Amino acid sequence: MTDAKPAGDGSPTGTDAHDTTADPYEVPPDTTAVACPRCGRPFARERHRDLHLGVDHRDLDDDERAAYEDAREAETDELRRFRIVSLGTLVLLYFGFLFLYAVAA
Amino acid sequence: MDRHSRRRRVARRATSFALAALAVIASAARVAAHAGGVRGATRETVTVPTWLFLATGGAVVGASFLLASAVTDRAYIRRIDGWGRALPGAGRVARLLARGGGIAALAITIVAGLFGPTTAADSATVLIVWVGWWAVFVLSAYLLGNAWPTVDPFRAVARTLPSLDRPYPERLGSWPAVAGLLALVFLEVVTPMADDPRLLTALVLGYLGISVAGSVVFGVDDWFGHADPVSRLLDAYGRVAPVTHTDDGLRLRLPGMGLTDAAWIDGRDDVGFVVAVVFVTTYDGFVGTGAWADIARPLVGAGVPALAVYLAAMLVGYGLFLALYLASARAARRTADTYLAPGVLARRFAPSLLAIAAGYHLAHNLATALSLSPTLAVVLSSPLSPPANVPALLVPDWIGAVGIAAVLAGHLLAVWVAHAVAYDLFPDRLQAIRSQYGVTVAMVAYTMASLWIVSRPGGAPPFV
Repeated sequence: MTDAKPAGDGSPTGTDAHDTTADPYEVPPDTTAVACPRCGRPFARERHRDLHLGVDHRDLDDDERAAYEDAREAETDELRRFRIVSLGTLVLLYFGFLFLYAVAA
Repeated sequence: MDRHSRRRRVARRATSFALAALAVIASAARVAAHAGGVRGATRETVTVPTWLFLATGGAVVGASFLLASAVTDRAYIRRIDGWGRALPGAGRVARLLARGGGIAALAITIVAGLFGPTTAADSATVLIVWVGWWAVFVLSAYLLGNAWPTVDPFRAVARTLPSLDRPYPERLGSWPAVAGLLALVFLEVVTPMADDPRLLTALVLGYLGISVAGSVVFGVDDWFGHADPVSRLLDAYGRVAPVTHTDDGLRLRLPGMGLTDAAWIDGRDDVGFVVAVVFVTTYDGFVGTGAWADIARPLVGAGVPALAVYLAAMLVGYGLFLALYLASARAARRTADTYLAPGVLARRFAPSLLAIAAGYHLAHNLATALSLSPTLAVVLSSPLSPPANVPALLVPDWIGAVGIAAVLAGHLLAVWVAHAVAYDLFPDRLQAIRSQYGVTVAMVAYTMASLWIVSRPGGAPPFV
């Protein structure tokens, strides 16, 4: 990621110019990927594709915009859940170790 | 019990836990004499049970991943990553001075090694290589920026010779540099390289010979850009530094943010080199432990040459490290539910490991750099017949705490870099978080392995 590169141009390899021969994507043969209509990047889920459109491409049409907003909402909800779980894990870790140190050390 | 005193007790507990966590991570500072040569650094005595010691270190790294994952603002992450200022390039005079200094250092190293004192303590050769170069210069490479291409006397010597300019074999990639780095550390472990100026001089001359031969065949830039282990090592450390080389000249960035740029890692060979940089520290420490003596004793007893046992351990260990890292990158494909190729994931996450390597290097070498720099200065004033009493700086104890902080900072930086890389790779922020599971597990495992080594009573490698 250098400044020369526009923020999030959707290229997963960033400024990786050396390895142009290798395909940066590898879709398992027995699955169908959800491809981005603009750049063709394959995704495993529609939500990833919708978010990718909003994050990495400009000038979305109305449908794409709506899909992006929906995906973004679902993403935010899931993030909130992850945060609660991770906060719980941190608290457990902290008090767990506090307890262990009190007992074992 | 009144509230005040209870709160104070809790605070005391919390502080002691935090300190213990820091100390644990950081006594890895003492892990392994490191490929630094100044072996026999005293090891911390651990007063907590080993399992708790290891678990705490692993938990600190895991917890820092959870804390980093709480930062979900794309724009903020990108701003931190992208912050920078263009810097003016070094002037011609500065460059000439640097090159002259490098050549002079090499000349003194060789002359003093051949004709100077044969004891390590006042040998200019030993001091230049282990203090001036390995401690101070490498330190400057990741704290400031990598000036080795300008200073490098081996490159300067090679440039004076004509070249056949054979095309460098593409398929070899960085593997010669990996082999060279492993070979250098192998020699450091199995020979008294830090104690014997004559032997060290032979190594420097041998390395000079190989560098010149390689440059004559393939051209200076191809040789030093791909196959030379020392240039590659300093280049890798330099990626951690705030001053980075870009196509438009020098650029100031936040420390470590150069690691989010993986354009220089263009294949599995470069991933292999980064893993080798991390591996050699562990190897150097591991062969000093009792566990290694127990493994090696029956083999050496059965008549296997000790050198072969050491070599096998190095190759097996390196293979294991590389396989584990590649597996952790492959795991990201599953956990993040992405179709990015495993190779892309391995390449993008690899540079984050260098922050950890730099942290360990600083912890190992800061005290050496400070205490022996005056020695180096005095010995340099008269390399062939140094004064009988050479001074050494008495390093205060709190320098050890700086090392501790460096190891911790290296780990935290690595976690942050992986976080920024994941946000660059994936449009879905949950994907970005989940993609780091494998790398985080690898980092936790590495920390625990390092801590296990440091918790063992160490010594010089046996049988060699």
